[in-house]
Amino acid sequence: MSDALRAEWTKLRTIAGTWWLMVGAVAVTVAASAGIAASTHVSPGGSGGASGAGQDPTKLSLIGVDLGQAVVAVLAVLAVTEEYGAGMIRVTLAAIPRRGVMLGAKAVNIAGLALVTGAPAVAGCLIAGRLLLPEAGLGPAHGYALLSIAHGPTLRAAFGSVLYLGLIALLSLGIGTVFRDPAVSAGIVLGLLYLPPLLAQLLSGPWRRHIQQIAPMTAGLAIQATRNIRSLPISPWAGLGVLAAWAAGMLLVGLAVLKARDA
Amino acid sequence: MSEARIEVDGLRKRFGQTLALDGLSFTVAPGTVTGFVGPNGAGKSTTMRVILGLDSIEEGTALIGGRPYARLTHPMRHVGSLLDASALQPSRSGRNHLLWIAHSQRLPVSRVDEVAELVGLGKAARRKAGGYSLGMRQRLGIAAAMLGDPPILIMDEPFNGMDPEGIIWMRGFLRGLAAEGRAVLVSSHLLGELPDVADHVVVIGRGRVLADATIEELTAGASSLEDAYLRLTSGAVEYRSGTDGEQRR
Repeated sequence: MSDALRAEWTKLRTIAGTWWLMVGAVAVTVAASAGIAASTHVSPGGSGGASGAGQDPTKLSLIGVDLGQAVVAVLAVLAVTEEYGAGMIRVTLAAIPRRGVMLGAKAVNIAGLALVTGAPAVAGCLIAGRLLLPEAGLGPAHGYALLSIAHGPTLRAAFGSVLYLGLIALLSLGIGTVFRDPAVSAGIVLGLLYLPPLLAQLLSGPWRRHIQQIAPMTAGLAIQATRNIRSLPISPWAGLGVLAAWAAGMLLVGLAVLKARDA
Repeated sequence: MSEARIEVDGLRKRFGQTLALDGLSFTVAPGTVTGFVGPNGAGKSTTMRVILGLDSIEEGTALIGGRPYARLTHPMRHVGSLLDASALQPSRSGRNHLLWIAHSQRLPVSRVDEVAELVGLGKAARRKAGGYSLGMRQRLGIAAAMLGDPPILIMDEPFNGMDPEGIIWMRGFLRGLAAEGRAVLVSSHLLGELPDVADHVVVIGRGRVLADATIEELTAGASSLEDAYLRLTSGAVEYRSGTDGEQRR
């Protein structure tokens, strides 16, 4: 396994695309958070714009993850689908014939890269939120503490957001392994992430709640909530657990397909 | 090198309705270059993929020194293979392509530079492989196959895309491998290359072995190897152009 891990790591680090996508993921995540924070205006009176009551500054500052995850997903999808384009998967499997070992080595590496990408991205979001949210009406002057990871729920939200990106990478790797084509796989991952939240908006009552409880993005992002947790469709860690189940499930389907198919 | 032997026995495989391999059996012995020829679609590439554990089979066995490929640890130290020279990530340099394979077989980095030198990749090794000509890709693929200094080599159409100089180099290279006691299986549709390179020829058609003999045995009673080949495969081609059309069934 250690040889396979090292080989897959060498593969990832020796193409420039890997590094560009990681830098891109951090940039997109932080820029989206900063942009949203800068354009938010909460008026305590509640007339126009968002109402000050019940805002969650931590969750708001981490909103860039909603967008940055797409770049992480593409990175993970490409890690496996690029091998199918020119048939390099046959060289890979000639070198590492145990298909479970090969996929496991890819999974460890790609999850590691997602965590390494997620840490600075999430830190950047919190710093942007700390600097910009007081201007938006979500600062100490309005009864909100400055964002700080000394605050337990904020630390959990930040740490959880990094884990979230790692799990998104594994989910994407599993889907890429099943579908092999980069464009098709990326489309399916993005659809799976972004369509259920939109669908939930169209529904009401228990259906909306159920979708939010089982969809990978809405359930997984529950980890970012720090206020009114009782009213969430799913609790933070249970939500991240739902995403972990999705990731594990897709990896297992990917492994089954990989083992059954001719390379 | 007693383990330097490929034993293929009774391979049977279907692609949908088509019987791709129909009880295929042959052996590649140490110290010989075995040419592997047959019409398009005869099952040459499929057989090679089966030997390397890439494709599954319904019946039969394909063994490397008595063991299935997928059971070998560091398989590329036992069998070097080149199936498709273009099977690489174009934005990675040739040297880095060799490097990840070396890591997968727990081979030292020094080996990467040795094989790059061996195939004459030179300074091009540091360039992106996507910019290589087909001939250069063949050399890179052969470098990858030689990384583990394997006693067995399997190459699918290695002469493809090579310039005359490359073809001459490749001929000498393959003969050298056999002279060192290695077992070499080479598919080629360039029949003219075979008498100069191969000791032994396995001719297949429609997934069956049509002939398994030395070059001398095959050409005895025929004007040339081409002539012998056309006679052997006349009943086993999917399509043959020109006046031979009537022979198709």
